[in-house]
Amino acid sequence: MGQSVNYLGLIPLFPLLGSVLIGLIHVFAGKKFRISEKFYGILACVGPVLSFILALKTFVALKALAPESRFLCHKAFTWFSVGELHIDMGFLADPLSCLMLLFVTFIGSLIHIYSIGYMGGDKNYGKFFSYMNLFLGAMLVLVLGDSPVVMFVGWEGVGLCSYLLISFYSEDRSNVLAGNKAFIVNRIGDLGFVLGMAFLFWGIGASGFDFLSLKAHSGNLTPAIALTVCLLLFVGATGKSAQIPLYVWLPDAMAGPTPVSALIHAATMVTAGVYMVARFSFIYANVELAGNIIAWVGILTALLAAIFGMFQDDIKKVLAYSTVSQLGYMFAGVGVAAYSAGIFHVFTHAFFKALLFLGAGSVIYALHHQQNIWKMGGLKSKMPKTYFTMVIGALALSGCPPFSGFFSKDEILYSALATGHYGIWMVGVLVAGMTAYYTFRMIFVVFHGTPRDQHAFDHAKESPAVMTVPLIILAVGALFAGFLNLPAIFGGSQMVTHWLAPSLTEHHPHASLFIEIIAIGASVAAFVIGIKIAYTKFGQGAPAPEFKGFAEFAYHKFYVDELYHAIIVQPYKAIGSIIWKTLEPNVTDSPVKAASKLYMAIGTAFKVFQVGYVRIYAIYMIVGLSLMSLFLSQSLN
Amino acid sequence: MFEHVLSVIIFLPILAGLLLLVTPASRTIARVSGLIISLATLVLSLDLYANFSATGHLEFVEYIPWIQSLGVSYHLGIDGISLFILMAGSVLLPMVYLVFTTKEKGYYANLLIVQGAMAGAVCAADMILFYVFWEVMLLPVFFMLGLYGGPKRLPATLKITLYTIAGSLLMLAAIVYLGVSYHAQFNEWNFAISKMAQLNLTGRVAAVAFFGFMIAFAIKIPLFPFHTWLPDAYTEAPTATTFVLSAIMAKIGVYGVIRFVVPVFDEQFARFAILLAYSGVIGMMYCGLAAIAQKDFKRMLAFSSASHMGIIALGVFCMNMQALTGTIYQIVAHATSTGVLFLFAGILEDRTNTRTIDDLGGIAAKAPVFALFFAIAMLASVGLPGTSGFIGEFMIILGAIKFNTVIGVLAGTSLIIGVCYMLWMFQRVFFEKSNANSENFKDLSLVEGLTFLPVIILIIVMGIYPQPFLSKITPSVALQFSQNPPVIAQTVTTNALLPELTIEQK
Repeated sequence: MGQSVNYLGLIPLFPLLGSVLIGLIHVFAGKKFRISEKFYGILACVGPVLSFILALKTFVALKALAPESRFLCHKAFTWFSVGELHIDMGFLADPLSCLMLLFVTFIGSLIHIYSIGYMGGDKNYGKFFSYMNLFLGAMLVLVLGDSPVVMFVGWEGVGLCSYLLISFYSEDRSNVLAGNKAFIVNRIGDLGFVLGMAFLFWGIGASGFDFLSLKAHSGNLTPAIALTVCLLLFVGATGKSAQIPLYVWLPDAMAGPTPVSALIHAATMVTAGVYMVARFSFIYANVELAGNIIAWVGILTALLAAIFGMFQDDIKKVLAYSTVSQLGYMFAGVGVAAYSAGIFHVFTHAFFKALLFLGAGSVIYALHHQQNIWKMGGLKSKMPKTYFTMVIGALALSGCPPFSGFFSKDEILYSALATGHYGIWMVGVLVAGMTAYYTFRMIFVVFHGTPRDQHAFDHAKESPAVMTVPLIILAVGALFAGFLNLPAIFGGSQMVTHWLAPSLTEHHPHASLFIEIIAIGASVAAFVIGIKIAYTKFGQGAPAPEFKGFAEFAYHKFYVDELYHAIIVQPYKAIGSIIWKTLEPNVTDSPVKAASKLYMAIGTAFKVFQVGYVRIYAIYMIVGLSLMSLFLSQSLN
Repeated sequence: MFEHVLSVIIFLPILAGLLLLVTPASRTIARVSGLIISLATLVLSLDLYANFSATGHLEFVEYIPWIQSLGVSYHLGIDGISLFILMAGSVLLPMVYLVFTTKEKGYYANLLIVQGAMAGAVCAADMILFYVFWEVMLLPVFFMLGLYGGPKRLPATLKITLYTIAGSLLMLAAIVYLGVSYHAQFNEWNFAISKMAQLNLTGRVAAVAFFGFMIAFAIKIPLFPFHTWLPDAYTEAPTATTFVLSAIMAKIGVYGVIRFVVPVFDEQFARFAILLAYSGVIGMMYCGLAAIAQKDFKRMLAFSSASHMGIIALGVFCMNMQALTGTIYQIVAHATSTGVLFLFAGILEDRTNTRTIDDLGGIAAKAPVFALFFAIAMLASVGLPGTSGFIGEFMIILGAIKFNTVIGVLAGTSLIIGVCYMLWMFQRVFFEKSNANSENFKDLSLVEGLTFLPVIILIIVMGIYPQPFLSKITPSVALQFSQNPPVIAQTVTTNALLPELTIEQK
C-alpha cells in the first residue's frame, strides 16, 4: 500500500469545481450582468492549469520513490459499503496514471487556452467552458480512480460530456442526433464494463475491489471467468475508444466545436479504453485468447478506418478516421501484451492529434466554418504558422522518423513482429502506408496548389496568437515526445517503458537486432510510398474527385451506418411500437378486459331474475326458505 | 423526540384531510393548510431520521392492543427498510403544494389522506393494521383519478379499481390464512408481522397464499404482466396523483414483498424467485421498449417508471445483500428522479398545453434552469454515476449477476434501454428549434426553483456520498438475511445455461 497524499483528490476536483462555478454563473448571472468572455476564459483555464501543476507535483513525488513502491493514494471517503462490497472514493497515482495525468492536464490546458480564441462570440460561451471543465474533470477521475467503480464514474462522465458537447449547437437536429449516437453507443460499451466489473467482483471474491487488491488476488479467477471479464471489459473499451463494432459514433462526433474534437480525440475519452486495458494488464496478460481478439479487432479497425480516411472530403472527418485508425494500433499493441508500447502511442498521439485538430480548427476558423477540403487550397502562404505546425503533426501521424509517431508506432509493430503476430504486423505496415497517404492528401489539398474558392481564400488570415501559440507548443511535443522512449537501437534507454514497468504486467520480447531492423525498414518504406503517391496525385493541386465504384463505397463508409440503422435502430423502434400498439392492448391487457367482460356477462345473466314484481320475489323467498329448511333438517338428522 | 411520533406522522395528515373535507374551507385554505401539514410532517420525519439509530430492528415502536381476542394490535415501528420509504414521502410531498395551484379543495384533502395512509402502511408492524392502511391509501387515488383526472379518466379509474380490488382481496385472504396457520401451529391468535417468520408453511395452500400476497404486491409495483393499469392511470391522473403513485405508492408494493413475502414464505419464495426475477427483467425491457413508441411524454414517463420498477423489484428477488440494499436505495433514488420528472412533466403541460413530444422543442434555450434541473433528474433516472440512480442500479446488477448470469446480463440492458428513450425525448423537447408551443416558455419561477433545488441537490449528494444513507439501511438488510439462512442456502441457483460462469458461494 502506497503513501497517502491529500492533493491527489484535488487534481480532478479543480476542473469539476470550475465547471460548477462557470455553469452557475452562466445560468444565473450570465444574462443579467453581461459577464465578459475574458472572465469565463480565464476562470476556465484556472482549473486545468492547477491540475497540471499538481500532476507535476505528483510526478516529482513518484520519481523520488523506489521504482517498485511508486504508489501514491488518497482515500477521500468511503463511497459505499454493503456487505463484502466496499468501495472508497479513492485515487491512485502510479507511473501509469501519472503519465496519463501529465499529458491529459497539459494538453487539456492548451486546448482550453486555444478555445478562448476559437469560441469567441458564441452566445453560449460560458456553457461551453463549463462542459469543457467537466469533461476534463471526468477524465481525471477516470485516470486517477483507484478502483474500477471510481474509474467508471469518469468513464460515464466523459460519455456524458461528449454528448453535451457534440450536441452543443443543439438547434440543429443532426448535431443532437450525433450526440445521442455518441451517448447510446458508449452506453452499449458501458454495459460491457459494468458486467465485467460484476464478474470480476464475484470471481475474485471479497478481498477488496481497488486495483492494488485486485492485482494481488487476480489468481483467484478461474480461466472461464477471467476470459469473460477480459472480453466484457474490452466491449467497454470498444465503445469508448471507437473500435469495431462500436466505432460509428466518433466520426459523427465532429458535430461539436473543433476544440471539443481535439479534446475527445487527443487528451480525453478515446484513450480511456487503451488505458483501461493497460490498467487491467494483470488480468489481460494471463488470457492470451483475449489478447489475440483485442489485437485483431484493433488492427482491423485500423485498416477499416484508414480505408475510410482515404476517401473523406471533410477535414475533420479525415482526422477523425485517423484517430480511429491510430486507436486500432494502440489496441494491437496492448493486445500483443506490449502495454507500454500501446500507452506510449497514446501519449505521442495526444500531442500530434491535438495539434492536427487545433490546426484544422485554425483553418476552419479562417475560412468561416468551411470544412470541405475541396473548397480549400493554397493556404500555405496565408497561414504559415498553421501550415508549418500542421505539417509537423502530419509527419508525426504518418510515422516519419524522427517524429514522435514514428517511435511509438514502430514500437507496436516491432512488438507484434517479435511476438510472432505476423499477420498483425503486415496489416499494420500496410495501414502505415495508407496513413501517410491520406494525411498528406489532406495537407496537399488544403495548403498546396491554387485556391479552389478564391473568395474564401482572399478573406483567410492567420489565427490570433491565443490559437497559434498552443499549436507551436504542441508541435514541439509532436516533434520531440518520441525521444522519451528511444529504443536501444538508436542509443536510447526506453525511459517511458521503464517508468511504466511497475504498473504493468508485461514481458518484453527478446528479439534480435535483425527483427528490429526489418520492423523499422518496413515502416519507413511504407511511409515513403504513401507520401509519394499522395504527392503525385495531389502535390500540385487537383480537382475534387468523383467517387466511383469502390471509392464511392468507401466514401459512404461501406454503408455501415445504414446497416446498423436497418438491423438495430429500426427493429428496436419496431419492437417498441409492436409492444405498444399490438402486444399491450391485445395480449397483455386481454385478461383484464376478459375479466371485465365476464363480470358484465354475469351481471347481465343475473338481470333475468330481477323482474321487479313483488310476487316473484316472494316466490324466491319461499323457495329459498324451503330449501334451507330441508338442508337443516337433513343435516340435523 | 416524543413517544408517539409515528402516530403523529400518520394521523396528522389524515385528520387534516378529513377536516378539510367536512368543513367549507376554500381552495386556498386547503392548499396552505396542506402545505403546512406536510411541512410539519417533514420536520417530524427529519427529526425521526436524525434520531434513527440503525440497530437493524424496529425502532420508535408503539404497541397498543386492539382486538385482543384475535391478537390484533395497533403496532407501529420502523427499521432501515421502511424508514427510507417514509422519508421519501415526507420529503417529496410538500413540493406538490408549492408547485401546483389550480386544483380543488377535495384534491388537497385526498392528498393529505393518502400521505398519512402511506406512512401508516409503511410503519405498520401488524398485518391487519397494514391491510387497513393499505386500503385507506388506495381510496383517495380512485377519487383523485376519477374526479380530477384527464378526459379519459373513467376507463383508467375502472381499470385501476378492478386490478387493485382483486389484489386486495387476495391479500386479505392470505393474511387470514397466515393468522389461522399461526393459530394452528402455536395455539394462539397473532397477526404481528415479526411472528409470521416462525411459521412453517408447506404444501399447496401455502403456495396459493404466497401468490395471493405476491399478486397483490405485483399489481401495486407493478410487475409484468400486471402493469396494464399503469400507463392509463399515470397518464390520466392529475400530476400530483401520478407523482404519488410512481414516487411512493409503487414502492410500498416492493416494501410489501420484502416485509411479508420474503421472511414468511421463505421456502416458496426461494422456489419461485427465478420466475419472479424473470418477470422483473422482462417487465423492465418490455416497458422500456414500449416507452420509445410513445408520443405523449407523460405516458413515456409512465412506461419508464414501470421499467425502472422491474429492476427495483428484481433486487428483492436476487436474495443477496447487495441487490436488496440496492433496491432500497434505488427506491429513494427513483422516487426523487422519476417523481420529479413527473412534476416537471406537469409543469411542461401547464405551460404549453400539450403533452405531445413532437409539438415541443428548443426549451433548453428558453428555460435554462428548468432544462438543467430536468437534465439532472433525467440523468439520475438513467443511472449516471455521480447521481443517486447509479448506486442502486449498480448494486442490483451486481447482485443479479451473482444470482443468475442470464438475469444479470438482461438486467444490465437497462443501461441502454433507459438512455434511448430519455435522450430521444430530451432531444425533441429541449433541443432543436423552438416552435409556437415553446416560444414563450417561462423558466422556473424563484419559488419553483427553490422548491426543486433541495431535491436536485439530494440527487447529487446521494450519488456522491451515499454511505450515510446506506449505513442506516444495511443493518436491517443484514438482519433480514441472518434471520432467514434457509433462503440463502436454497438460492444457489445453478446456471443451467452457463455452468462455468456460475458464481460460487463463498
